[in-house]
Amino acid sequence: MKSRYLTGGPITPVLISELMTLGNNDPGAGAVSVFIGRVRDDDYDGRRVTAIEYSAYEDMVEKEAEEIVRTVRAAFSDVRSVLIVHSKGIVKAGEASLFIMITSGHRDHGTRACRHTLEMVKEKLPIWKKELF
Amino acid sequence: MAAEVKVLYFGAAQEAAGRAEEEFRAGDTASLRSQIVSKYPAMARIPFRMALNKTIVKEDSGLKENDIIAILPPFQGG
Repeated sequence: MKSRYLTGGPITPVLISELMTLGNNDPGAGAVSVFIGRVRDDDYDGRRVTAIEYSAYEDMVEKEAEEIVRTVRAAFSDVRSVLIVHSKGIVKAGEASLFIMITSGHRDHGTRACRHTLEMVKEKLPIWKKELF
Repeated sequence: MAAEVKVLYFGAAQEAAGRAEEEFRAGDTASLRSQIVSKYPAMARIPFRMALNKTIVKEDSGLKENDIIAILPPFQGG
């Protein structure tokens, strides 16, 4: 994977627990705010989604994700780290495809920064999906 | 002056073009866009943006040799 913001396949519970330990070496981070996005089994005219195949313009994901991290850190001064990981490839319904973690001194900037990061990920990252039935 | 550039297709644009990349000769992004749409009529139904060397093109931009242009349908991550 060319971008450290992407991982092949689902974001597994094991990967999530590994990612969450990344914030552990900062005793000043009193708040950890996490968003996990999962593939939904949406219904399209009677056909149910069983998985989504994600594709990405990896070089540009790297550039845009770095810009998101810079923007969020500048907008929320209490934020101490911003972590974004998105899936590439096939993710089954019910599995996680997006992980966002913000560490901050206190809860207010952390939770708001988490929401803001999510909106920017959806708007800025060049990622596409193909529903599989 | 037209330049030889590499075009990358993503998402629905990749399906419309039936390929992931190809070379074009074009002087600017507007003429490249019309070449692509006339070569692949299905592309006219995709509201795609273009990125020039990984930066979204906001207005018509000149092209130089070996520029990389990405054809970007609406993003669907998250």
